[in-house]
Amino acid sequence: MNLTALQQDALVEVINIGFGRAAASLSKLTGQRVHLEVPQITMCPLDELSEHLRPMVQNEVASIHQIFSGSVAGDALLVLDERSAAILKELLTNEPAMPLQMDASAREVLTEVGNILLNACLGSFGNLLHVQVSFSVPHLTLETLEGVVSSVTVNREGLRYALIVHAAFRLKNSSLTGYLIIVLSVASIERLIRAIEQWEGGER
Amino acid sequence: MTLSSNPPVDAGRLQTALVRWFSELTHQGMFATDCSMRIMVWNRWMEVHSGRTASDVVGRPLYDVCTDLKIRGLDQHYEDALTGRISIISFGLHKYLLPFVPTNAELGLTAMPQSGRIGPLMDGEAIIGTVTTIEDISDRLANEAELRKQIDVQRMARVTAEKAMRAKDEFLSTVSHEMRNPLNAVLGWARILIERSDVDPAVLSRAVRAIERNASALARIIDDLLDVARISTGKLRLEMHPVDLSAIALAAVDVIGPSIKAKQLELRTRLDPKTPPVLGDQQRLQQVIWNLLSNAVKFTDPGGVIDLTVTRSGADARIVVRDTGHGISQEFLPYVFERFRQSDASSSRRHGGLGLGLALVKEVVELHGGRVTAKSDGEGSGATFTIDLPTVMSADVRHPQAEVDQPGSDLAHSLAGVRVLVIDDESDSRELLTEFLSKCGAVVSTVTSSDEALSHIRMSPLPRRPHVILSDLGMPTKDGYEFMRELRALRTDDGGAIPAVAVSGYANPDDRQRALAAGYQTHVAKPIDLAELSAALARAADRG
Repeated sequence: MNLTALQQDALVEVINIGFGRAAASLSKLTGQRVHLEVPQITMCPLDELSEHLRPMVQNEVASIHQIFSGSVAGDALLVLDERSAAILKELLTNEPAMPLQMDASAREVLTEVGNILLNACLGSFGNLLHVQVSFSVPHLTLETLEGVVSSVTVNREGLRYALIVHAAFRLKNSSLTGYLIIVLSVASIERLIRAIEQWEGGER
Repeated sequence: MTLSSNPPVDAGRLQTALVRWFSELTHQGMFATDCSMRIMVWNRWMEVHSGRTASDVVGRPLYDVCTDLKIRGLDQHYEDALTGRISIISFGLHKYLLPFVPTNAELGLTAMPQSGRIGPLMDGEAIIGTVTTIEDISDRLANEAELRKQIDVQRMARVTAEKAMRAKDEFLSTVSHEMRNPLNAVLGWARILIERSDVDPAVLSRAVRAIERNASALARIIDDLLDVARISTGKLRLEMHPVDLSAIALAAVDVIGPSIKAKQLELRTRLDPKTPPVLGDQQRLQQVIWNLLSNAVKFTDPGGVIDLTVTRSGADARIVVRDTGHGISQEFLPYVFERFRQSDASSSRRHGGLGLGLALVKEVVELHGGRVTAKSDGEGSGATFTIDLPTVMSADVRHPQAEVDQPGSDLAHSLAGVRVLVIDDESDSRELLTEFLSKCGAVVSTVTSSDEALSHIRMSPLPRRPHVILSDLGMPTKDGYEFMRELRALRTDDGGAIPAVAVSGYANPDDRQRALAAGYQTHVAKPIDLAELSAALARAADRG
């Protein structure tokens, strides 16, 4: 299953609406202009997630993981490489970064940012599908990319797909990219694509 | 209270009991509302920190009880919770959820730092209200602040270490440069003397003086280096006595006088006789004043003026050296007393020296419990160095001129008729010592090794046996220590008690101790000062 160019464009547009809201609340929280957009979105079978992500993030990563449930269910993660995570925290709080392992306050800020982004993205899907999704409490972990991937692949039955949403942050003349990964069952993906097509054809 | 096993427990009552149990726990704040945002649960922690009891707030609208929430826009998170979303309220972005009194005043925050969560209260699929948890993170913040401090300290230490490494590299190249100059002069003149068979007396005298001057410069560099090493290993020993700073200053002026004259500078001294004595090492303090004066001479152009003042300043004695020289740039001023630092470390430096003089000044002054400061209005505006030393009120003040042997003075002790046996493996040294000692009237014999010396002593009939032995310490096969142990093992009749003086290029206190332990009466460091050597030999010969 692949996304057509049109479907991709529409999906980017839907997520950008959510990201706009997320950026607005981050701007309000930090008192500085935060710009957030989706330059790219890709979809792949879950077992190919590793090879898709490897060129983009290396070494240790910080990931904020949430499970969502409802009529659409799955896993949602925000993945930042360690450097970007430290920079993002520093930019948002104006406090010098120290190693994330030692800095519970930084991990908490990143958890809040991840939560805002994931909520915004899935909230847009929910609006599109006219369904309500509820979320688990977000958790931040620091581990290798392989560790992150295995946390969403183990004990999951059935064919699953991963949407990789590039999240480009711009604030204070700096820019960095994080990756939203939304893991969905085939059925959920199909519902999402149908809804996207209807939205594109009708409500636009 | 009664314990009943029957009747079966009602699930609703069990739940209520559980909520009560958890609400009594005090490590975290927790409150819950229904969908119309009326408070349903308010735990013990919330009562403690809000100052409002559960019975006071339960049933009332949350936004009436916590008016701050709406003002700060946090009500949005409750709207989200009612649609199934969870919000993280991080300290980093919000500081606190509710404005409670801080539990740790040292953090300097106006409200208790908090980490909060707001989420939906679910009954199966249905949202039946909201739940909020609050954590006081004062301890965590204190730990993080401490960690941050440690990281900063480590980073500073690394920067300092890197700077020190760089300074040391520069210093090494300075040292080799500074030592090569006098060495070249010594070698050059020595070669001229070797190559020319007939040297005219004027050239000879010039050559010898140049060699002497440059060798002295080398000796001073080595002295400075050794002083720095001694200070950094804590081995510099000060002989503390009540001393008169004015007298010490005059002694330093005597030494620096020729350089001042040679550079056509004017030295003005103002030595207040009412300056109280300080407890100090007169030789080291003289070195301190000499270093400051020598620094002033170096950086002042001909025609300039140097002021030397010794006065009382409150409870302290104050030495001020002020010059009209090149001054110190504001950027360099903070580093002026650092070891190995010179304002111009490039290879084209106009001013010689190792950059140790002022570092030594600071360290010696601080060892005396004093402090030294440098002031300058910038380049071209001259410089002022001020030393403050604590004073003692005592009449027992030493006057340096009376006791200090001026280096290079020719007050050689007479050794008339004293038989001296010189042991040295190097012919130059033997010749030099023979020359020196003969001038003092000694009868000198020389040998080139320890074994030769032992047989010389054994073979000499008593009337020709040496009165005193002068032995080098560093010799091949059997060194001066070994020689002395063997000599001291001999019977007195065989010469086992002949007094002996050790001479070596190693001037540190350990070498001296080792020599004395081996059986020498005294130890003289190279370069040899004739007065010191002749005095040592005379004393040793007297004793024997």
